Amino acid sequence: MSAPSILRSLFAATFVAATTLSSTAIAVTEAKVVEVKGEMIDTWCYFSGVMGDTDATRGTSHHTCALWCAAGGIPVGLRTDDGEVYMVLKFEGEDALEETDTMMEIQSDIITARGKHYLRDGVNYIVVEKVVANDGITYMSHEDYDFVPPFAKPKKKK
Amino acid sequence: MSLIGKLPGFLTGKVGIAAALVLGISAGGLGAALSVKTELPANATPDPAKFSVDPSNTPGFPKVKGGDFDLVDHNGNRRTSKNPEGKFQLLFFGYSNCKAICSMALPAIAEAVDLMEEMNAPITPILITVDPKRDTVEGLRKSVGDIHAKMVGLTGTEENLGVAYKAFNLEKKFLFEHVEEGAVYSHGSFIYLLDAEGNFKTLFAPVISPVRIAEISAGYIAEGAKSATN
Repeated sequence: MSAPSILRSLFAATFVAATTLSSTAIAVTEAKVVEVKGEMIDTWCYFSGVMGDTDATRGTSHHTCALWCAAGGIPVGLRTDDGEVYMVLKFEGEDALEETDTMMEIQSDIITARGKHYLRDGVNYIVVEKVVANDGITYMSHEDYDFVPPFAKPKKKK
Repeated sequence: MSLIGKLPGFLTGKVGIAAALVLGISAGGLGAALSVKTELPANATPDPAKFSVDPSNTPGFPKVKGGDFDLVDHNGNRRTSKNPEGKFQLLFFGYSNCKAICSMALPAIAEAVDLMEEMNAPITPILITVDPKRDTVEGLRKSVGDIHAKMVGLTGTEENLGVAYKAFNLEKKFLFEHVEEGAVYSHGSFIYLLDAEGNFKTLFAPVISPVRIAEISAGYIAEGAKSATN
């Protein structure tokens, strides 16, 4: 099996596990308004394993790549400290699903969001109605991982 | 303060999206970040025990309007949201020349289609273009077969495509003209599951594996005429 194949199978399992752990056997009758605090992450690189350790796909080390992915239409997630990930379905002030304008401004930030939580097919989704607080980027992951991926490092002008 | 707030003005806001992607593409950024092949490991097969709609789904999921598009397929035939084959549909918005998320999502859909064929739960894959200038009927005819033999490519006028985008709350933006690849677009990347009538059933983030797409889709098909737990 090729390395990408292994990663692919791993991330699928990781994603399912990460998004179902806290949600099983809960009889929900309607969407609950929740307030969650966590980091805005690039869900592709976080779950796919293409960038290695998930911690390397968060914070400052991955900020540039996270912008690329958000700009390209990759859904953004909100990851809490305990590892729960909420796929952001819609954001305050945005009309479209996955609209990227606001996402570009807050990618990698630690935010506290209030919104409606939906569980769908084992995945947590949130419709963010209000950003209660924004602590900015606080995870200085570049101190451990430098730039992830390495080619995200700006080239010096000659 | 967000780091992006410390970046030069051209790297923030709407212009920043394009600028960031230009930087990304020029450095192999997004394309390289997404260049993992969607191969299935040999032992990964759908689990029949999972062929049911998840009972813990939250009612009232903010489903998209769905349906209502009226476009032209890659053979030049009119195609609406209702599937003439009477099958469920996996719908994705993208474009043939996309080197980023489409190159990941479309092969994943193709794999899910093959898996569902083996599960005796056939489904129709559909690509609605966000690049009608290049994805003409002729252009799609040349490209969709490379994705999957059963892939249906849909194009149309900007007006008719706009109706489809609006029905699925899709955002698409022209970003820039790449020297070699031509027009580059940003677009939403959810994969939508529709029934044969074109009604929205659920959606998948592109990180969901083909196996899970197949299992979940088979659950909704098995549910039959019953509406999803909304």
